Amino acid sequence: MSYPIASSLLDGIVLAVVERESTYGYRITQDVQKVLEISESTLYPVLRRLQKDGCLTTYDEAYAGRNRRYYKITEHGRAQLRQHRIDWQNYRNGIDAIFFGGDSQ
Amino acid sequence: MNRTEYMAALRRALSVLPEEERASALRYYEEYFDDAEPENEQKVIADLGTPETVAAQILADYREVTAVPQPDGTAASKANRRRRGINPWLLLVLVLLAIPVGIPLIGVLIGVIATLFGVLLSVVLVVLAFVVVVPLCLLAAGVILCGISFVLWGMPASAVMTLGCGLALFALGVLVSLLMIKLCTLFVPPLFRGLVALLRWPVNKWRGRTRKNGGEAK
Repeated sequence: MSYPIASSLLDGIVLAVVERESTYGYRITQDVQKVLEISESTLYPVLRRLQKDGCLTTYDEAYAGRNRRYYKITEHGRAQLRQHRIDWQNYRNGIDAIFFGGDSQ
Repeated sequence: MNRTEYMAALRRALSVLPEEERASALRYYEEYFDDAEPENEQKVIADLGTPETVAAQILADYREVTAVPQPDGTAASKANRRRRGINPWLLLVLVLLAIPVGIPLIGVLIGVIATLFGVLLSVVLVVLAFVVVVPLCLLAAGVILCGISFVLWGMPASAVMTLGCGLALFALGVLVSLLMIKLCTLFVPPLFRGLVALLRWPVNKWRGRTRKNGGEAK
């Protein structure tokens, strides 16, 4: 069973993956697919949007005789990611409280 | 489908995007194939889904991004870019849609003008024929009857009657000719003036309107 992934959650996940190390589209897809059921075509629009919003920048690096485009997190992206982490924590605590009866008050 | 065909289909499906956006998406998927290694080409194609599905996701997200206002003012430039991207297409579509309506309309207009011209020409010809032919016929008939009367001198009564009829018709012809000439001098100049006025009417109306607009502007 899987839950549909909201686009804001996907933004946070991609930011977290890129924060660990600057990386390229195929690798990001592979990394996210290890934990989530997303289709191969889901991430390009997310990366493009984050790039336009100033959360990510790109740079090209030679690899195997061609240029590979890497994504790098920006300061604005890091701030967004911090907010995502806070939002996620609150969300998870709320769900946990209902699922397992922990105290969320 | 191989990689080349897949990328060509994706390029077609993204044709509505601005060049910069399309190039960015195509580059991403070219690299995706490169990074997946050649032996995985068919698996990548199967995993990605059809080029149309991939394109639909990109287009949906692009519309969302350009529609959402941004606080830092990039929304304005994005909206401009989008307007600039769509307007020529919209214009082209409108022109293409107008062609099927416009060509018949022009045809109808030409037909109406040609018909009006034809009617006018035939009326002028009929009037001309009436004015010229009727008096000429009367005069000719008079002359011919007079001529016949000279041949008939063997029967004096018939000869005199034919001569009388001939002279009467000739006289009538002269009278009708004079009448027609009088009518022509009376009616042709005003008719001509009327025709000229009719032809100049649209031009005058247009001129009058521009003059009036000019006055309002002041």
